[in-house]
Amino acid sequence: VSPVSSQPVHVEPARKSLLKVILLGDGGVGKSSIMNRYVTNKFDAHLFHTIGVEFLNKTLEVDGNQVTLQIWDTAGQERFRSLRTPFYRGSDCCLLTFSVDDNQSFLNLSNWKKEFIYYADVKEPENFPFVVLGNKVDVTERQVSTEEARLWCQENGEYPYFETSAKDATNVAVAFEEAVHRALAADDKADHLIPTDTVKLHRKPRSATACCS
Amino acid sequence: MAELKPPDSRRCTYFFLYDGSKVRGEGDPTRDGICYFYPEDTPLDMQDLLCGQLAGVSRCVSELSSSAVQTLRLRRCKFAIRMKEDFFWAFGCSMEVPTVSVCELLDHLISLFCFYNGSVRQSYQLSSKENLASEWARYLSHVLSGPSELHYIFQSVRTIDLSNVDPLLLLKAALILQACQRCPLVLAGCILFRGRVVSTQMPPELTIKVIVHESESYSKIQRSSGESPASSDGGSVSSAAVFLTPSELQDLKSAPVDKTSRFHPAAEKDAPPKKTRLSRTLSDAASCESEPPRPASCQSPQKGSISPHLSGSEDSAFSPAPSQRAADSPSPLSPCSNGTNASEAVEGDPEESHYHSFYSSGDVVSQTLSEGDGSAIEESVYLNGATSATFSADDSFGEEKMTAGLKAESRQPPPGSWAPDSLEDSPLVAMTLYTHRVNSLVLALLVEPGFMSDTASLEEVNHSSLASLNGLEAHLRAIPAAAPGAAGPYLFAHHDSVQHTLTTNVSGRPGGAPEHPFVRATSLLHSHFFDTETLQEAIIRNAGTAVYGTRSVAQETFFQQHGGSMRNSGIPNQQDSAFSLPSKARHRLLKHGVNLL
Repeated sequence: VSPVSSQPVHVEPARKSLLKVILLGDGGVGKSSIMNRYVTNKFDAHLFHTIGVEFLNKTLEVDGNQVTLQIWDTAGQERFRSLRTPFYRGSDCCLLTFSVDDNQSFLNLSNWKKEFIYYADVKEPENFPFVVLGNKVDVTERQVSTEEARLWCQENGEYPYFETSAKDATNVAVAFEEAVHRALAADDKADHLIPTDTVKLHRKPRSATACCS
Repeated sequence: MAELKPPDSRRCTYFFLYDGSKVRGEGDPTRDGICYFYPEDTPLDMQDLLCGQLAGVSRCVSELSSSAVQTLRLRRCKFAIRMKEDFFWAFGCSMEVPTVSVCELLDHLISLFCFYNGSVRQSYQLSSKENLASEWARYLSHVLSGPSELHYIFQSVRTIDLSNVDPLLLLKAALILQACQRCPLVLAGCILFRGRVVSTQMPPELTIKVIVHESESYSKIQRSSGESPASSDGGSVSSAAVFLTPSELQDLKSAPVDKTSRFHPAAEKDAPPKKTRLSRTLSDAASCESEPPRPASCQSPQKGSISPHLSGSEDSAFSPAPSQRAADSPSPLSPCSNGTNASEAVEGDPEESHYHSFYSSGDVVSQTLSEGDGSAIEESVYLNGATSATFSADDSFGEEKMTAGLKAESRQPPPGSWAPDSLEDSPLVAMTLYTHRVNSLVLALLVEPGFMSDTASLEEVNHSSLASLNGLEAHLRAIPAAAPGAAGPYLFAHHDSVQHTLTTNVSGRPGGAPEHPFVRATSLLHSHFFDTETLQEAIIRNAGTAVYGTRSVAQETFFQQHGGSMRNSGIPNQQDSAFSLPSKARHRLLKHGVNLL
């Protein structure tokens, strides 16, 4: 669609203007730091445990459309489970996070995935966009190799895998961009699944003002 | 805020501020001196009459007795009176309301005004009468907006209903505040949700004042200039100038904050010099000097022990200036080199002493003045130790006054306890109230005036709190509102006089008629507790029911059991069900977190 188009009728399906992306993973793997690095470009080595959930918004431009990315950071500790799980619903993408210097956090990825699918009430888990992040690649003593992690991603549904470091900003932005694209792609796919024989002439994208200036 | 209702006429019949400096000559009309009058639709003649008479009588009695009038009774209306310089405040309500509560309400009202506008005189020099009238109206409506009559008797900090809130969320709120305090320009803060306190680092007196801003912040944003635009994150950040009394400031600054964990330890030195908006030398002296550490006894545990009421810190706003008093009454106590301490030591807690004398019927000095319309004005004269000592009274009042004064003295707080801000006329210190709103959640911080122009500090505070505030808001919003439980088989009210919180199952719903006797009994008992220092437990009863009240230095609790036949034969009887009230109260109230053991 040409950006100069002044026609109110668009053929392109409406895209979501708010994307909810949720960070899950064991306590201490760096979920809050990843969110802070991406949104405020800051790193604080002395963050307290997250209690319950927190979130930040970031506005992005994707294919000429304004998209608000709402990044939800969650508490990884088991004792906060009942506080965080009610907020899984409505997520458009899930970032499963582990720390490359903590093998247990890697092993727990499957549990996190299960917990998410259960509480988010995902209809088609096999099509839901997950992205896997191996954080803290800045540390020298790794317990999880890149190969192991890639293998897990492959076996579980071809999830994209990123090795990140919130501390020195490695791959953080790239990972979120991938999450956005996956989420939008899944959204488009879902849109196409709706059986529509009719052409909706009056359908306007929510972000109409943004693209027809 | 939805809770803001127009003032209940039962709760406040009149409120006015009268500026005597505007009415000097014989020909000056009284109405020139009326700064604000509630109800606003009162006919001007009526306003003139009331202002003229109350102000005249109060001034006359004050001059005769060399002490300020604190309460007046006019037929079925009770007035709390405050005078400062040429200003005269009167707050009138029905006789049912305890005198202590009426005085607290007026003090609270004045302190709210001063908190947001600075000194009254200066406000009226800088701003128009109309603008300030809307300020008074706003504070009045807030002061009177309590959900039930009990909130009118006990001015209290309204906290969120904790019954459904995961304690971890309270921890989360406390951590947000702590994170903000890492910025050296941040003094203290509180977090409010739907106008109720979730967590606070401030003393209750300050928290109560800050809540007013929150409840009005939306309209305020439109009215006042100098607001920061809404942040891109959907929340809105704003700021307002506020004015703290020196003792409030000292309390905040002496709070144990781990300075080493602050963001920029070096910035402490760079903090802008504290200055007041008013160029008064005393203020500069007070704020530039290093704050002396307060004695341990100043700290909170004893705060409520002496004066279990709110208004202690507001005395500065209304009492006559010390110099004036010293001139009026040749006090045998020679003024110390430190005038501040002298006035503190001499004066103690003027209200306490006054109430005492007021309630002990023998001490009440009353006169009846026949007015033009025939209404009798009965008045009580406030006496304190300092002034009574100076009476060379040869009339019959003399002894009574002396007695009252001595009694008052015996109730003076020991030095070092929560000395109310009796630094008369102490200059207020300008600070800034920073607020960050996320939907129904508000983070309010008292910050140094330089904070709003310090981009680094602003950003630091914003970054450290935004995500958590978003999350906390989402959590609190997800909590279902507690269903208004059916009135149980009992009514209770529990007032924590240290935290200034009120826990009660009195709903204050329009159909709450059955609750009214309980509220009345509570009000009566509250008065008695205030009046009689040694009274700890009391039962008030009529033929049908009984209300039990108990208090300690930190709390007052009232309890009424419904149902069950009263076994009351009129003579002392072990079977009398009223005697089982204390144990029932202990048992029943445990589940409300009230421990009477």
